[in-house]
Formats: sequence, structure tokens, C-alpha cells
Amino acid sequence: MTNKKNTGTYLVLSLCSLVILLPIIYMLSTSLKSISEILTAPKATLFPEQVTLEGYRNVMNKYPFFTYVKNSVYVVSVSTLVAVAFSTLAGYGFSRFRFAGRGMLLMFILITQMFPSVMLYVPYYKLLATWGLSNSHTGLILVYIANVIPFCTWMMYGFFNSISRELDEAAMIDGCGRLHTFFRIVMPLTLPGLISTTIYAFIQGWNEYMFAMIFTNSDTLRTLPVAIGQMSKSYSVYWNDLMAASTLSSLPLLVLFLFLQKYFISNMTGGAVKG
Amino acid sequence: MSSTRAPGVSLRRLRQHGTTAVFILPAVLTLAVLLLYPFFYGIYISFFRTNLVNKWKYVGLDNYVRAFTDPTMYASLLVTLKFTVFVVLGHFVLGIGLALLLNKEIRGRTFFRAVLVLPWLFPEVVVANLWKFIFNATSGLFNSALMAVGLLSEPMSWLGSVDYALGCVIFVCIWKGYPLVMIQILAGLQSISHDLYEAAIIDGANRRQSFRYVTLPGLRPTLIVTLILDTVWWFKHVTMIWMLTNGGPGSVTNTISIEIYKQAFEYQNQYGYSAALAVIVFLICVVIGVLQRKVLTRDE
Repeated sequence: MTNKKNTGTYLVLSLCSLVILLPIIYMLSTSLKSISEILTAPKATLFPEQVTLEGYRNVMNKYPFFTYVKNSVYVVSVSTLVAVAFSTLAGYGFSRFRFAGRGMLLMFILITQMFPSVMLYVPYYKLLATWGLSNSHTGLILVYIANVIPFCTWMMYGFFNSISRELDEAAMIDGCGRLHTFFRIVMPLTLPGLISTTIYAFIQGWNEYMFAMIFTNSDTLRTLPVAIGQMSKSYSVYWNDLMAASTLSSLPLLVLFLFLQKYFISNMTGGAVKG
Repeated sequence: MSSTRAPGVSLRRLRQHGTTAVFILPAVLTLAVLLLYPFFYGIYISFFRTNLVNKWKYVGLDNYVRAFTDPTMYASLLVTLKFTVFVVLGHFVLGIGLALLLNKEIRGRTFFRAVLVLPWLFPEVVVANLWKFIFNATSGLFNSALMAVGLLSEPMSWLGSVDYALGCVIFVCIWKGYPLVMIQILAGLQSISHDLYEAAIIDGANRRQSFRYVTLPGLRPTLIVTLILDTVWWFKHVTMIWMLTNGGPGSVTNTISIEIYKQAFEYQNQYGYSAALAVIVFLICVVIGVLQRKVLTRDE
């Protein structure tokens, strides 16, 4: 009985895994094909006839690829760091203090999730120009920070709520100040939550395309997604180059996932559920 | 030390306010300046005909009137509706199903969980391009595979087809987006106490009954929040549709968000109209969120 059930489970899981893995394998294999093989083959083949690093070489030589990587790393790291710091503080504040307007602010943070990012394209475009920040990394960083804070605050709020307030009170009776209690006693306990939140913010930034595409236009300022988007929009697409660049830009998150798997599978909406 | 009681209390209260501010203000001020202000500025722009530089002509509600009398708007709303319903449905069918399977104690669970989360980790641009390549007309894997098994005699352009483009876009967006729903539900399932299941078994519940009376109620809050967020996120989605089809062929995949982008950055000086459409989308998103919450929490 249980055996039969498990067969079904394995069947479904395997089938779904296949639908996920096949395209990813195809991406890898295309990145290892030569462009002539891709264009002349009568039909698509899952594996390359001849493995070549042509695509990867082209990515390094034809494009300022390392500049793109550097841009992405810079913009995403700075915005993630600031956003997570602000969100952690705010999450703790909302969880521990009762003050006028608290409910309204929490509501506001939830409602910002309903702000379509398309709604902000035009105002940001104009405001960044007014502030002298159009076509700059600083402008992009500000936009990313603002757009990721609400959800991160909501996540951290949930994580702090799951830690007993009595702990804070005990620490403060023992003579710890509020800040000391926060940094030394409560924060270490939410470390898993903090890591999950950081990962979320990082993924959001690393994969973001539209804002980066609209707000930067010089080639030297492009982030990876915009560079890849540009490669695919050119008149004749070099699919092997494109897939090589895609593979390289997906690698950081895959490696991160490999090492920090359990933090990826955490309850992001805990705040809303328990709040 | 020798101060009277009243100032001491107000001093403490002041200090309390100060501490609260230290924690709350960085985030709140950032959001006020970088989210709320641009948001209202967008509403302001929607009342103008402007090139954003030197021409600002106040037109009142003209942009909104134009939106509501433009058949394109209704057409793109309908596309958005179809897109969102099918994408979210797909996410939840796969997300709930796979989360339940992954919650079983079976061998290889970690492996399957890792594989099934993968699409979430790839950038949207990468996913869109990959599927564009797979669906492409001349040497696409999809065509080759279908022809190999005899389901198709001639290669066809899937994303260029009026009949199939939207379906393909929906498929890709389900592929990319279900892991997030799956993860949320998995986390929700794991937060349900084992004691409850044991109690249900002691009370004589069978598998189906313990699913109905323990799992579902325990999962309910997670389901509600995830459903609202997923619906709103995909209702306003742009990137992958834009990469896959640019809203075409014709206007088959032209969602309202794509229309907003086009009005602002493809056409001349339609910033005001684009902003008005954006306000309409925002209002729809709020209504969806409120309605779903109302319906789903009705009997609590």
C-alpha cells in the first residue's frame, strides 16, 4: 500500500524534475556549442556534437563582461546591505514597540506590495533626472533599496515576533539597554531569518531587469541582466554567447543555494501569518 | 536623583520615543522619500500631457477618460486577466501538489527539493531567453522534439502564433514562478505541529480527514497571504512577457503592464497617459487584494 503510493510520488516528482532540468541542461549544452553548429544543424540536439568554449571566450572578449559583473555585484551588494539593515531595525521596532501610527505604518508596508513597479517607471525616471541621478548606479541602488525594504521588513517582523518578548524583558531587567538587547541578545537568535531575508533581497536585486534597463543607458553601467537582455535583442542573436553569459550570471545564486539551502526554504510570509 | 516624579516619567517616555525612532525611522523615511513620494508624483503626472522636460499641460481627467474609452485598454485588461488567472492557478496546483509530496518522508527528498526550486534562482531574463530559444521557429528544441515523435510535421513559430503565444508565455511564467509558492507552502506545512496529527489519529481520523481537518486549517493563513501576493505580483508582471513577445504578435500578449511600458518609453510624450494607466492598475491590485482577503477570511 505505502509502496504503491511512493511509486506515484516518485513518478510525479521525477516527471516535474525532468521538465525543470531539461531546459537547464539545454542552456548548458548550447553554451558549449559553436555558433555554426547551432545555425546549421537541421534540428536541435540536446547535447553538443563537439564541445567548445567558443561562447565563453566570446563573452569575455566581445563584451566588457567583467564590468557587467562588477556593476551587478556593486549595485546589488550595497542595496541589499542597506535594505536589510533598515528592515531589521524596523522589523524589531514594529515587533517590540507600541506607538501611535504603528498599525497604519504596517498596513502601508503591506500596501506597497500592491504598487506595480510599472507605476514607478515614469516618476522615477523624472525624479532621478531631477536629482542628477539618471544613468547612475547610485540612482539604481536607491530604487532597489526602496523596493525591497517593505517585503524584507515584513519578513523580519515575522521572525522577531516568533521570539518571545520575555527574553528582551529579562535582558533589560539584567541591565541591558535597548540597543544592547537588540544587538547582543535578540539579533543572534534571528540569524537564520536574517540570512533568509538577505538572500531574498539579493535574489531580487541580482535578477532585476526593468529598472536597470530603464535607468541606465551607458554600456559601462549595465548590470548583468540588462547586458544579457541587450545580447538577445540584437539583430542576429549568438545563442551560444547568450547561453554562456546566462550560465555565468546564474552561477552565483546556484552556488549560494548549494551552501545555504535551508535558509532558502523558510517562511517568508511568517510576519503576515503570525502578525 | 532629587528630581520630582513627573519629569522623570516624561524623560523616560522621551527616551522611549527616541529609541523607537532609531529603529523605525530609517526604513520609514526611505519609503516616504523613495516610494511614497514617487507614487504620488506618478498620480500627479497622470493629470498632465507632458514630455517630462519642458512641456507640462494640465489636462485634468483627460488621460483617464481616454483610458476608459480606449478599446486597447479593455483588450489588454482581458489579456492580463487571462494571464494572471492561469499563471496563479498553475503556481498553486504545482506548488501545493509538490509541497505535499516533498513533505513526505521519502528518500531523495533533498535532491528533489533542490531541483524543483531551481527555476526561482535563475534570472527572469535568462529564463525568458532560454524558452525563447527552445520555442524558436527554425532550430528550436520544442519543434524538433514534437517532430521527432510525429506530433508536428512542420516547424512553427510558437511565440509568433496568435493561437499559442499567450499559452507559451503563461507556461514559462508558471515554470519560473511556482517554486516560491511551493516553498511557502512547504514552510507552512512544516510549521503544523505533529501533536495535532497524532491527536487526529487518536480520534480515529483517516488520512483524508486529517488532511481536511488538520492540514488545511493549519495551512490557511499561509495560503491566503501567498495567494494575494502571488496574484498581485503576476498581475503587474512585465519582464518575461516583454522579453518573450514584446506583447505581440499583434496584441495577443499585450498585458496592461506592457501597455504602460510602451506608452511611456516607446511612444512620444505619452508619460501622462502611461501614468494614468498605472494608477488604474494600482487600484485594481488593491481591489484584488482586499477582495481575496475578504472572501478567504469570511468565516473566521
